[in-house]
Amino acid sequence: MFSRRARIILGTLVVVALTLVILSLRGGGGPLGLFRSGTGAAMGSLQSVASTLVSPVFTAGDWLGSLGDQKERIATLESENEQLRQLAERSESDRSRAESLDALLRVAGLGQYRVIPAQVIAVGPAQDFAWTVTLDAGSRDGVQEDMTVVNGEGLVGRVVFVSAFTSTIALVVDASTTVGARVAGSEEIGILNGTGTQDSLEFQLLDPLADLQAGQALVTFGSKSGRPYAPGIPIGTIASVSGTGGSLTRIATVTPFVNISRLNIVGIVVEPPRTDPRDSVLPKANQVIPSPSSSALPSTGSSPSPEVSASPQELDATPAAG
Amino acid sequence: MRLRQILLCTGLLLVAYLIQVTLLARLPIPGATPDLVVVTIVALALAYGPVTGAVCGFVAGLIISAAPPADGPIGVSALLYLIVGAVTGAVIDPRDRTVPLLSGIVGLAAGGVVLATAAFSALLGSDRVVWSNVPAIALSSVIYAVILAPFVVPLVDYLVRKATVELAVNARSPR
Repeated sequence: MFSRRARIILGTLVVVALTLVILSLRGGGGPLGLFRSGTGAAMGSLQSVASTLVSPVFTAGDWLGSLGDQKERIATLESENEQLRQLAERSESDRSRAESLDALLRVAGLGQYRVIPAQVIAVGPAQDFAWTVTLDAGSRDGVQEDMTVVNGEGLVGRVVFVSAFTSTIALVVDASTTVGARVAGSEEIGILNGTGTQDSLEFQLLDPLADLQAGQALVTFGSKSGRPYAPGIPIGTIASVSGTGGSLTRIATVTPFVNISRLNIVGIVVEPPRTDPRDSVLPKANQVIPSPSSSALPSTGSSPSPEVSASPQELDATPAAG
Repeated sequence: MRLRQILLCTGLLLVAYLIQVTLLARLPIPGATPDLVVVTIVALALAYGPVTGAVCGFVAGLIISAAPPADGPIGVSALLYLIVGAVTGAVIDPRDRTVPLLSGIVGLAAGGVVLATAAFSALLGSDRVVWSNVPAIALSSVIYAVILAPFVVPLVDYLVRKATVELAVNARSPR
């Protein structure tokens, strides 16, 4: 089927590929690590250029569609129109960036995290089975491995690899992710695992007898010296609980706060807070008020806001019967 | 001649890869990411023959698995893309190119890459492969590749013809 020369080339390449697999499985640095950081630096800068080039696609779908059929007669008008529209979209994308930065600042401020803002510039293909993204901040910006990544909504993931100008993040939904989590408003802790699907996580309480209900929020428990996970970061809400109280395999499905498919501006936590922020970073609707008093409600406004009335804690005030 | 071929292959694969990670992977579509790189490798293998296809696949896979955001062992995708390039270059007769055949081959390649990546990663002890997700990802990857093929393969073929003075068939002489 193949000529002798072709067979030699193919055979060599297969052997090289297998050798690389084995070498990289062995881990550690060495020439392969050098190759990886070199490729990371080169490809990272290309990715950020390409990401800038394609960014209009995400802010305007219809602009791209209208690009095709421009008639000669009104070409000047259309190009002018286009310029204005681009300008408008630019300000739109600027506004959305400002909004995400605001939300990030709120989280960082509430939790006393010191964060470096960064932008997602590339996303790993789903068929690699790894939920990873590239950020445009690297070791030059002070990013180190095993730092926590958050955005305005909550926990995004952790830094797994850093090159000079970019870093790679393993998202919280990645199947290799394991996070220590605490049920907001209680001392119950458990282990949260990514499932490899973008909108669900699995949570297992350490105490199988503890009370666990749909609607409860989870925050990070915090790792030693805040790495890889700083404490108090909102993770998500419990969507459903399988198994009954007391059974060994009592697993809750958790919906993350962070919308994985729409990640843009994120923050890398370079310094965790000195004290655990507890539940203070959680969105208002998910915060557990120590005394669920009705007296607090009338004073805030004439009618209860939808967030308050939709609060899962109040809806599920009665414990679920086993 | 040779230099032009190398430049064209490198350029096309680089563009395909950048479009894939910065644009296609971020589109809000279900299942897999449209695998533009595999489609490009198949197109190059069809234009230049199995050996060039294999080398292109190897290099592309090597870069992809080493550059961020990849976080797996280096070399797995190099091996799989190498096989894709070699096999697709070898099995298809360049004179017998109909759209259904091309789309079928590209679809098979994309689906095969997903399944092989899953199997190989699991074999190497990766805890990332969730088998319940694999069929959906493989199937959607096939569908996206079949959609991409009729656009990408002729485009690559056109560029190759443009870059080579002789017809692409001449480059297949070592076969």
